[in-house]
Amino acid sequence: MGMSLQTLRVLEAFLENPTDQLSGADVQKASGLASGTLYPILLRLESAGWFVSRWEAINPSSAGRPRRRLYRLTPTGLARASEVFASFGRGVLA
Amino acid sequence: MNCHDVLAALPAAALSDEALWWVEALVRRLIQHAARNAPPSLSQRLEEEWLADLAARHGQMARLRLAIGCCWATRAITREHVAANVPATTSATGNTIMTAYAQHDSSFVSRRTTAVALIVCLHGVLIYFLATGLVHRMAAVIPPLIQIPVTDDAPTRHPPPPPLQPNLAPTRLEVPEPDLTVEVPPDANTIRGPLIEQPPALPPKVLNRVLGGPGKGFPNTADYYPPAAIRMGDKGIASVRVCVDGNGRLSADPTIARSSGSARLDEGAVRLAKAGSGHYRATTEDGRPVSSCFPFLIRFDFRD
Repeated sequence: MGMSLQTLRVLEAFLENPTDQLSGADVQKASGLASGTLYPILLRLESAGWFVSRWEAINPSSAGRPRRRLYRLTPTGLARASEVFASFGRGVLA
Repeated sequence: MNCHDVLAALPAAALSDEALWWVEALVRRLIQHAARNAPPSLSQRLEEEWLADLAARHGQMARLRLAIGCCWATRAITREHVAANVPATTSATGNTIMTAYAQHDSSFVSRRTTAVALIVCLHGVLIYFLATGLVHRMAAVIPPLIQIPVTDDAPTRHPPPPPLQPNLAPTRLEVPEPDLTVEVPPDANTIRGPLIEQPPALPPKVLNRVLGGPGKGFPNTADYYPPAAIRMGDKGIASVRVCVDGNGRLSADPTIARSSGSARLDEGAVRLAKAGSGHYRATTEDGRPVSSCFPFLIRFDFRD
């Protein structure tokens, strides 16, 4: 299955700690992708069932900031992403 | 309002502090605008998500980039939402959807063309502003920081003006002849009568001397930064000694008083000092411009 380099960078950010829940800002910091590229990829992977997302469980007024949308790899997504990276012969991108 | 409007407004926004507030409002409007143009099922979620991620961004440019990126993301999301139009639950692994998106990933020609056009427009806007005087306005805002006159070297010694001659008109003194007649052998060294005290010489006048230096209209150091030195990463401070007449013109070729450590930078410093002839501030003595020689520092730092 073909996959863009940008998508692989997003997956790489999640594979560093597969159980972590990351916001778009976190993924952007880790992947270095522009927001115009990142958010379509996140939605794409969520639609494909590789990610699930939920709102951060905070009270915005007490936290002093808006709640974030957090993404997490699903077991399916983890397995598929691992397969993709295994096909490269190593675990991380250059 | 769209992303093109934002790009066109960038140079103006950089000119004033008031623009910071304007950029912040613009960023939020852009994100809201982008989210509302997304598919209705995602619109509210994307707006809240992007505004939350915006709050995690620091720096006006980073926030502006996020907002512009959201405009871009909306286009991609809308296009893919229509193109895919497949519920996420139709495939347990999502292979169908990912394959469709992968095929879409490969059709980047139109996006690249748009990106290139945007870059060309941005360069055009920058060139326009530079050609129409923005560079001069910016240069007026940035204070000159390179030419620093120093006084650590000994100032040029000039002969002090001759002291004022006191009025030494000969005074006729009446010395009474003593009644006592003394036979004194004739001697040329004999002093007759009391000594006349000479009035003390007046102290030399103290001059109010102000050392000269680079003056108004002195060339910009950046214009004489040798390109080879920039490429080699040379930075340093050269001390150049110049001799300037009362009109601010060089009366002799400038020389390097203290090397910057780079022959290229020293050469650039001498060229700059020569080019500044006529733009030096002459040394003054009691407010009167005089010829003098003095050193001054020239700092070359390409980060400036």
